[in-house]
Amino acid sequence: MQKRSYGKHFVIVAVIVLVTAIITVVGLSRVRWMAAPASAQARSVDSLLGIELVAIGFLFALVMVFMLYSLVAFRQRKGEEEDGDHFEGNTKLEITWTVIPLITVLVLAVLGARGLTEATAARADEMTVEVTAFSWGFKFAYPEQGIEASPIMYLPVDQHILLDMNSVDTDVIHDFWVPEFRVKQDLVPGVPTKLRITPNKIGKYTVLCDELCGTGHTNMQAPIEVVSASDFDAWVAAQQPSTDPAEMASLGAELAASQGCAACHNITGDPGGIGPTWKGLFGHEVELSDGSTVTADDAYIAESIANPTAKIVAGYQPIMPASYGQVLTEQQISYLVAYIKSLQ
Amino acid sequence: MRFFKTGLVKGILVGLLWWLIGFMLVEAIRVVMGLPPQWNTSLPAGPAVPQDTLKWIVSGGLAAYEPAMVVAAIFFVIGFMLGAGTMSDWLKWTRGVDTPMQHGPKEGQPSWFRYLSVDYSHKIIGVQYGVTAVILLMFAGTLALIFRVELAKPELQLTLFNDNLNWFNTLVSAHGMIMIGSILLGVGAMSNYLVPLMIGANDMAFPRLNAFAYWINVPGALLLVTAIFIGGWNTGWTGYPPLSAQAPIGVQYFFIGVFFLGLSSILGSLNIVVTTLTMRARGMTMFRMPIFVWAAFSTALIQLTATQLIGLSFLMVAMQRILGLGFFNPGFPDITALAPAQLWEGGGNPILFQHLFWFYSHPAVYIFILPGLGIISELLPVFSRKPLFGYKWIALSSLSIALVGFLVWAHHMFVSGMNTYLRVPFMLSTLLVAVPTGVKFFSWLGTLWGGRIELKTPMLFALGAISVFLIGGLTGPPLGTVTTDLQLHDTYYVVGHFHATMFGGFVFPFFAALYYWYPKAIGRQYNERLGVLHFALMTPAFWVMSLGQMLAGTRGMRRRVADYDPAWGIDGVQLAVTIAAFIIALSVAIMVINMIVSARRAPKAAANPWRSRGLEWQVPSPVPELSYATAPIVVGEPYDYGLAGSTYVQFAPPTLAPVHSAGVTGGD
Amino acid sequence: MSAIAESPQIQVRRNRMGMWLFFVSEAFLFGGLLISRFFLWGNTRPELPQVVPLAITGTLLLSSFFMNRAETAIANDDRKTFQRSLLITALLGVIFFLGVMIFEWGWTIEPDGTFLLGNHIHPTSGVYGAVLYGMTGMHALHVVSGVVLILIIWNLGRKGKYSADDHWGVEATAIYWHYIDLIWVFFYPALYLIGTAVPAGH
Ligand code: HEA
Ligand code: HEA
Ligand code: HEC
Ligand code: CUA
Ligand SMILES: [Cu+2]
Repeated sequence: MQKRSYGKHFVIVAVIVLVTAIITVVGLSRVRWMAAPASAQARSVDSLLGIELVAIGFLFALVMVFMLYSLVAFRQRKGEEEDGDHFEGNTKLEITWTVIPLITVLVLAVLGARGLTEATAARADEMTVEVTAFSWGFKFAYPEQGIEASPIMYLPVDQHILLDMNSVDTDVIHDFWVPEFRVKQDLVPGVPTKLRITPNKIGKYTVLCDELCGTGHTNMQAPIEVVSASDFDAWVAAQQPSTDPAEMASLGAELAASQGCAACHNITGDPGGIGPTWKGLFGHEVELSDGSTVTADDAYIAESIANPTAKIVAGYQPIMPASYGQVLTEQQISYLVAYIKSLQ
Repeated sequence: MRFFKTGLVKGILVGLLWWLIGFMLVEAIRVVMGLPPQWNTSLPAGPAVPQDTLKWIVSGGLAAYEPAMVVAAIFFVIGFMLGAGTMSDWLKWTRGVDTPMQHGPKEGQPSWFRYLSVDYSHKIIGVQYGVTAVILLMFAGTLALIFRVELAKPELQLTLFNDNLNWFNTLVSAHGMIMIGSILLGVGAMSNYLVPLMIGANDMAFPRLNAFAYWINVPGALLLVTAIFIGGWNTGWTGYPPLSAQAPIGVQYFFIGVFFLGLSSILGSLNIVVTTLTMRARGMTMFRMPIFVWAAFSTALIQLTATQLIGLSFLMVAMQRILGLGFFNPGFPDITALAPAQLWEGGGNPILFQHLFWFYSHPAVYIFILPGLGIISELLPVFSRKPLFGYKWIALSSLSIALVGFLVWAHHMFVSGMNTYLRVPFMLSTLLVAVPTGVKFFSWLGTLWGGRIELKTPMLFALGAISVFLIGGLTGPPLGTVTTDLQLHDTYYVVGHFHATMFGGFVFPFFAALYYWYPKAIGRQYNERLGVLHFALMTPAFWVMSLGQMLAGTRGMRRRVADYDPAWGIDGVQLAVTIAAFIIALSVAIMVINMIVSARRAPKAAANPWRSRGLEWQVPSPVPELSYATAPIVVGEPYDYGLAGSTYVQFAPPTLAPVHSAGVTGGD
Repeated sequence: MSAIAESPQIQVRRNRMGMWLFFVSEAFLFGGLLISRFFLWGNTRPELPQVVPLAITGTLLLSSFFMNRAETAIANDDRKTFQRSLLITALLGVIFFLGVMIFEWGWTIEPDGTFLLGNHIHPTSGVYGAVLYGMTGMHALHVVSGVVLILIIWNLGRKGKYSADDHWGVEATAIYWHYIDLIWVFFYPALYLIGTAVPAGH
């Protein structure tokens, strides 16, 4: 059988590969992949991802065009019974396509290591925020500002932040991720972790828990507000304990949202939830699993939150997380009580 | 009824009996030791109203009896294996009774009976593996369809999830793990059916062990499915503690089920290694083996060793749950700063689990793909009528993927809180896997180049596999470079990545193999037009699904959540993914129907419809009970298409046939 | 019906290879346990009585010697020594097992007839308890299965199933037993010798 010559084929394929690669790469770079970045760390991540997209686009075009071209140019024609050309391999080619990808991945590794260093580097004058995760919410503390617990994370813009992160030691693994900040870190019970961010765009964001943590995982999130330095100072100053019932109730509502209570409790009065409804709870007689009853007053509700297994409501499993006693301050529990009180 | 005499039914019945015995035994021991029958007395002992029993069980009420449940599950597996008859020969040996190796249908039983009972022929076992794999695939796929409906729109749709989000997590976990079980069985199907045929052996080295390794999957899979209905488990297929140490009781059945699937992997792969090393036909050197055998061999090496670690890691959590061994229970807010004396009170480390788990589960992903890539390499030469380009490079790349695959596990843990200095070395090793994988891709292109390509269904699936696996593979390096993984970890980008790798590396090639060897196994030809239709529906739908998942992921869609923020603008993408999922399901249904109907109605297949040079194609279809009555002798290269006058195999004159001595004991 | 089988010698060669592959596989299991020990205990270990563990370690090593004697005996068709050595091996194995159960795990029977677990260390004693019970438990499970195998071949030997040139069953059990022994040679120092001893707080 006579061997065909492939010179012409190679030229055509090379041209198509080039064109397709350009189209793919341009196409890929046009897609809006991610939400707009909002931290200094985002730059290293985004630029490396950009490089990788180019590499992906090119390699994809290379392999696909070769394959599809072969299907067209070397297809079996009707009635053809012959075999193809007999060649078993080419060591030089094999070495080439071992070495070139090898170099490519080594370059990627170097870029990756560099990007990592940039994205995690410690900076002078960092402000520390302590993040505690629990099932299913976050608590933020500002040791330098003397704020013990906040359900919302306020951050001054362009300030280097060091997050000291921990999960309650009897709890499960959670995760801290703000898509716009581009960095992420698990919070592991018993193993403190750190994360560094420098928010550089004023706005509202959301911390998402990105590690499966059970029933409430879907709803485990907390608000973040990046504000100007002066707004931040104002917020710090406003963190005095409140005594006005209406304000307490609204702070309590915010807490209930950020602490994941809604995963199990509703405020609509529906009886079917995992935990009892809060609507009309205050002041009513509650039947307990040991057969006794108790009136839902301030003390009972506060105890139910801080130490849920002390009194189990009849007909419910004792599955309410015990960690709230550790993560909520007394002040915050009083806000929650005020909120539940307000749901008549 | 004959059906009730099959090994399957007997196994289930005896297994249930043993389950009950196991449960009673633990309760009896508790009573004797003066303990209350309930293990966890803070949980209700039973439902208030008897009519609610089912509801109570489904919501995980049996957790009050966890040790009894665990022992009962193990008893169930033992009882099943005894009842099915997988161990009867071995039990006879322990009493000194010889049991000759019998092949062929039992007298007086119809042929379908063999497939539902213990049988030692590797061809039967291969089919058993394959059918079980497809059943599990359909089951797990159906679970995916349910939760995809939920995800098609933001907010919660299904009342099932509205009542209790645990159901969502349970479905995702069960989908993931049962799919992986299905892959392991599919891999078993391919290697059990093909390896002995391809190397010219009449069976595996240890046929009884082979049957045992298949059958232990059945109770294992039954436990996995049961786990969904006794409370489920909300941990994902990865089962990370401390969550899995606190999860509903279903997690124990998940652990035990996976444990026995793993045992099957270990025993099955041991068999493959010995078979490959000792039973090749005369003249078949390692580098004259069909390329699939290389892939199966490399796979078996991973399965044999790494699998122990997933068993161990799950066992450790199970022990933490029922015996209080605190491997993963920190007990202190900062165990990195504990004084040694405090280790008496706590000090467990959740990250240890992740190391043990991924030491198996990363190499496992190469278990999923290597046989599939082997199938691609096997089919391309046949359908392009050309030698496999760079045979040795492809063979050795399988081995090197297997070996390097052992060194990369921590790339799943870049943000887990493990020591940060480990990130860079693991990034490097991870990226290195791209090199041998690339060698395969480019060699495939070399194989196609200049061929006479014939686009039959198996070839279409092989080519589809290349395109899909390419996407999956190329999306790996952005995960492997730590910097970008900080953003992408545990998002739907990862979901898109692994569906593409698993479809490209396993599902597509597995379907290709099913179509390709169908005539050989069944003796009839499937319907080509339905085959092409299956391909034409599945491939574009898959692309939409996988690319859609990636896009959703980079926009902010987390894994394992039932709801998402409409502000990210991914509603359209999510809906498209759901629709694509249903199209994939439809296409799979078409294949299943095609195969069932063709097995009865289709025209008889020729011995070698693909004009392949492979050994197994030189014997009639379906393969006779004794595959090679005359011993094959390998005299040439396996893929010398297009070389006039070359032959791969000759059949020896009858005098050279191997010794057939009946009634040999020992062995196994 | 057709029977497919090769000559016994070939099958024994395969069996031997299968056996060794099984050991390679198990090595990963035990290796995983050892790694967990170093991960969780680091350079420390719980303070535990030393004499009994040393004694039962000696017992296990001794049993390996008798196992070996049994194998040589059957290879020389010396049935009496064979049977006797097997029994001694099994007995030493049982002593080892009881040693683990009674002294290391500390099962005691209280005067009122109930069982009490853990007079030195309890399974729930932090990671010390977890790793100690985990490792010795996994090993003890293997010892028990080894003893059962030995008793099976002892019984088969009694029935005259083995001869000088057909005793694969004996050989397999023997390597299995040596293997279990070898594992203990790694476990024992990891649990009792390496690292600074930390006394229990209570
Ligand atoms: C069949 C399964 C399979 C396969 C083959 C792969 C292959 C690869 N995977 Fe994937 N992976 C999974 C299944 C698989 N993966 C699963 C199931 C998960 C999620 C687990 C969970 O959390 O539930 C996962 C998750 C996962 C992660 C963790 C993500 C996270 O959770 O943060 C990472 C990170 O490094 C990763 C990387 C890779 C890489 C680099 C490859 C490489 O092997 C790919 C190599 C192939 C190519 C690169 C393409 C072909 C090559 C060329 C054309 C040559 C030229 C190429 C270059 C120069 C780049 N994978
Ligand atoms: C081989 C492996 C495999 C396969 C084939 C699939 C197939 C599919 N997967 Fe899955 N998937 C995994 C392995 C796999 N998956 C794993 C390991 C996870 C991770 C789990 C975890 O996070 O723990 C996962 C997670 C996962 C998620 C993420 C869930 C989450 O994180 O919240 C999603 C979401 O879209 C998804 C979707 C799908 C879909 C739509 C299909 C479709 O292709 C399915 C198509 C349907 C079928 C193939 C069934 C055919 C049905 C019929 C023919 C009907 C007839 C049926 C009867 C008569 C009963 N999968
Ligand atoms: C895992 C689900 C879950 C979460 C999350 C949860 N709870 Fe509960 N809660 C329950 C269950 C179940 C009960 C009833 C059993 C009991 O009394 O412990 C309950 C009981 C209560 C009660 C007593 C109600 C009554 O009817 O007497 C109060 C008050 C309460 N929870 C407040 C909260 C607050 C505040 C939060 C969030 C900070 C919260 N819960 C989070 C499950 C949960
Ligand atoms: Cu916390 Cu997910
Ligand atoms: Cu991996």
